[in-house]
Amino acid sequence: MKAGGSAMTVVMLAIFVAMVIVANGYPAGARFMPFVVGIPAIGLCVLELVLDVRRRRESATALPAAAPPTAVEDHEAPLSPQQTLRRELVLWAYFLSLIGGILLFGFWLTIPVFLAAFLRFQAGASWTRALLMSAVTLALLFAVFEQAFRIELHPGFVTEYLQDRLGDGS
Amino acid sequence: MIETMFGSLFVMLTTPKIMGLMLVAVVIGIIVGATPGIGGRLSIALAIPFVFGMDMIAGSVFLLTMHAVNGTSGQISSIMFGVPGDGDDAATTLDGYPMAQKGEAGRALGASVTASGFGGIVGAVVFALMIPVLEPVVLAFSPAEFFLLAVFGITLIAFLAGSASIFKGIIVGLYGMMLATVGMDPQTGTARFAGDYLFLWDGISLVTAVLALFAVPEMIALGVRGGSISSVSREAARFSYRQQFHGVLEVPRHWWLALRTSVIGAVIGMIPGLGGSAAAWMCYGHAVQTSKHPERFGHGAVEGVIAPETASNAKEGGSLLPTLFFGIPGSSGMAVMMGAFLILGIQPGPAMLTQHLDVVWTLIWALVVGNVMAVIILLVLTRWVALLTFVNGAMLVPFIFVLVALGTYVSEGRWENMLVLVALSAIGYGLLRANWPRAPFVIGLVLGKIAEESLHKALQLWGMEFFLRPLSLVLIALITVTVAYAVYQNIRPSKVRQPMGASP
Repeated sequence: MKAGGSAMTVVMLAIFVAMVIVANGYPAGARFMPFVVGIPAIGLCVLELVLDVRRRRESATALPAAAPPTAVEDHEAPLSPQQTLRRELVLWAYFLSLIGGILLFGFWLTIPVFLAAFLRFQAGASWTRALLMSAVTLALLFAVFEQAFRIELHPGFVTEYLQDRLGDGS
Repeated sequence: MIETMFGSLFVMLTTPKIMGLMLVAVVIGIIVGATPGIGGRLSIALAIPFVFGMDMIAGSVFLLTMHAVNGTSGQISSIMFGVPGDGDDAATTLDGYPMAQKGEAGRALGASVTASGFGGIVGAVVFALMIPVLEPVVLAFSPAEFFLLAVFGITLIAFLAGSASIFKGIIVGLYGMMLATVGMDPQTGTARFAGDYLFLWDGISLVTAVLALFAVPEMIALGVRGGSISSVSREAARFSYRQQFHGVLEVPRHWWLALRTSVIGAVIGMIPGLGGSAAAWMCYGHAVQTSKHPERFGHGAVEGVIAPETASNAKEGGSLLPTLFFGIPGSSGMAVMMGAFLILGIQPGPAMLTQHLDVVWTLIWALVVGNVMAVIILLVLTRWVALLTFVNGAMLVPFIFVLVALGTYVSEGRWENMLVLVALSAIGYGLLRANWPRAPFVIGLVLGKIAEESLHKALQLWGMEFFLRPLSLVLIALITVTVAYAVYQNIRPSKVRQPMGASP
């Protein structure tokens, strides 16, 4: 049993406990379902934690076995935990930058910058290829969402603010 | 009924827009299915933003066709490189890959593509045949049974997806159900877990939740892993169209096996939670058991390719049945599909039989026509589709991230959903890292609302006595047996415990 599994159980337990406590303040009809779901879930989380402890004790007394495969395991060469963590942090940083960029500067400014940066620095593509792929993707998305579906995508808070300021100025 | 049946087919075939959409769906389904790492669930979730604005028929036909075709192209990488595209394709690898290693990749691919298409069509036929049989059963179900069926569905799915511990599966399922309670309570008008955030009053967006739980964690995992998806050299994959034609003829040569495994697959698909992997493995086992030469299996027996392929595609027709008529998704893929149906205005339940039978028949025909299209296209393009396996994972990640962001925003037109996406993605990645199943979450989220609504109706109609209705007692017994077995499995000594499969 991995410690990560127990940590996830604790996270789940915390979520359910918090939601049940919050639901306690609702009228009877509104808190019924959160209680029906949350209270057994808390019981199961506690049971799972007990089972985790039991399994860990069992495995401590048993002969050392091969580690269970993890979802991020490499099929070619196993990564060290430090390498895995470093790569995870980089990918999360890219993902959060994309979301943050969209919220602040909107889809149309963020998408090409994000794609070009990721393809160049993370995927190892040449600048020409990265820029070309970004431009083609942007053109395709623009054709689908703006032209075909007429869906207005989030313009971005900073972009909107600047547009307003420029609009006021003129 | 006959008029509705053929009327739906006529309308579908004579509407250029629908046929065009189906063709696009088939091509996308083939590409997505052949690319390991992007499963059927994910492809539907990513495609949902693109069906906004479509009418319910066009949108549902597009998504269902894409989902049905996914499995047909998924086995290409299993056979040619020994890399299963999805859990469903793993059984095909056992004999498909040895065939490719013996220089019979074309024969194996011809047999698998034809078998998969055949299975898909038989699955749709079995579903169609079940409609008149099931009508009285579905109509006899009351809100009490729908509530218990939802609970049973989550228990069963958690049991099968939970791998070493069913409790983890149930916890994740209950987490999905808990998040389904976020938003305005229809009974009391209380905004639950929403505070002053108006965007949460309508509840958690299903599209956002699915993308956060599946797409983001999978892409981060793919990016961490790095490199190309297949580690086999391109030269290792030999292929000839002559061989492929011989492979196509293997299906009529083994027609009795193909028919049996298709029917078994469709029936397994009808049982919520069993899904494609179980159908494929059970039918592989059936093929071994009924063969006169079982020793050939595992070394490149063509029956070992035909049986799992027919079953895994036939189950799509079967799993559509509980999804459409009971509102209980037959698999996690169907749970996402059901969410898409709801967005398109299709309300699964008994009304599908009484008011929307035309939609049901259109979906059945979409399965048939989509599979025929996929078989024809794949028999011509298999060789090139296989090259998708060599795509560098890192090249794929940013495009999926962009689609995830677009899907999250477009599904409800709210930027706040981006924040929900980040929060749920963190939990989704935690589940993936800790090797917890994620499929029960989607089912819990979809079934949560149905369960609550049914529970309130049942309590209003019968009070607590609804638990004592005969059908309710049967369902309660089934839930108890499933949970009791799970408890036994967890408490007995771990040395005899066997994992049931990879957690999705």
